[in-house]
Amino acid sequence: MNWPCRNIAKTALTFYAILMLAGLVACGSLHASTGEEASSTITSADDALKLAFKRVLDAEEAGANVSSLTSDLNEAGESLAEAEVAYRNGNLTGAAGLADRCSALAGTVSVEALALKDSALADSQRAFESTSIFSTAGASAFVAALILSWFWFKRAHARKLLGMKCEVVSDAEA
Amino acid sequence: MLKLENYKNVFAAVGLVGVLLIASPTLGWFIHLPGGEKFSELWILGPGHMAEDYPFNVRTNESYMVYVGIGNHMGSSAYYVLYVKLRNQTEPLPNSTDNTSSPLAPLYEYRVFVQDGKSQEFPLTFAFPEVSSSENQSMVKSLNINGVPFGVGKLALWDPENRGYYYQLFFELWIYEPEQSALQFHNRYVGLWLNMTR
Repeated sequence: MNWPCRNIAKTALTFYAILMLAGLVACGSLHASTGEEASSTITSADDALKLAFKRVLDAEEAGANVSSLTSDLNEAGESLAEAEVAYRNGNLTGAAGLADRCSALAGTVSVEALALKDSALADSQRAFESTSIFSTAGASAFVAALILSWFWFKRAHARKLLGMKCEVVSDAEA
Repeated sequence: MLKLENYKNVFAAVGLVGVLLIASPTLGWFIHLPGGEKFSELWILGPGHMAEDYPFNVRTNESYMVYVGIGNHMGSSAYYVLYVKLRNQTEPLPNSTDNTSSPLAPLYEYRVFVQDGKSQEFPLTFAFPEVSSSENQSMVKSLNINGVPFGVGKLALWDPENRGYYYQLFFELWIYEPEQSALQFHNRYVGLWLNMTR
């Protein structure tokens, strides 16, 4: 092979090698960024699910019926579990999609749980007020009735004592 | 006959008891009696939803099914994570004394929310599509759980005493602690011994 041809072939080879290397680096960084993206989406979904659960717990503590919210949480939890499994298996796009679904479901649950907690607190406040009114009124009526019966009993008792006759017991035989 | 003073005491006692009884619905808002013991249940049932017919002698490419259940008696709703792991006879199980989970990486997981006093059960199917065996060892290359394939590369040596290649599919229960905002091993696990036949 003469000199110019060899030079052209060498340059072409170098160019090809650089192109391949650049392609590999680009592919690697793309994969890494997708991996990081999927990981951060899963972390966000996990945080959203934990927050939703805390809010459901608060609503439950306030006395709300959280059955429907629990079933929604289970749906979100299933998505997150599937996302974790997909991530471990290298299905990064699938994992990110499932994690996004979990975040969306958890967000809805959080909002509903807050509303349910507020309504449960208002219901419980009303129930407390009516119970205390009835208890106070009932206890007052009972105490009043008891005082009246005490005065009636006291008078009846005094009358009974006044109506008693004195009896002298003889001890002549002793 | 009782003296008037004694009757007065009787009236006072009746009054006190009556007032307490009438006020008890309101007092109930302030007085909270301690609940019972807090605990969680974890169980595995066979394919017929009974504690029998558990898979034991397993073959390549055959599908097996069990039910895993969680019961909540923690006094409020709970967030559980159930990790599914596979080990051979030499790999570590969770340590109940130290309350530590097995260091093995989980393959599959369930995330479930269970209300107090309720339980939840879910099916788990598994199959071993790739198992190779040589003279006195068996290698599980992959495991399918609920249709999802996992590369495991798990080796088991021939157990001359029990005459088989033994693996254990086990389930670790974790619970989310809202106070610490973290998942913690709940010190409960159940397992299923599997004899890999040729």
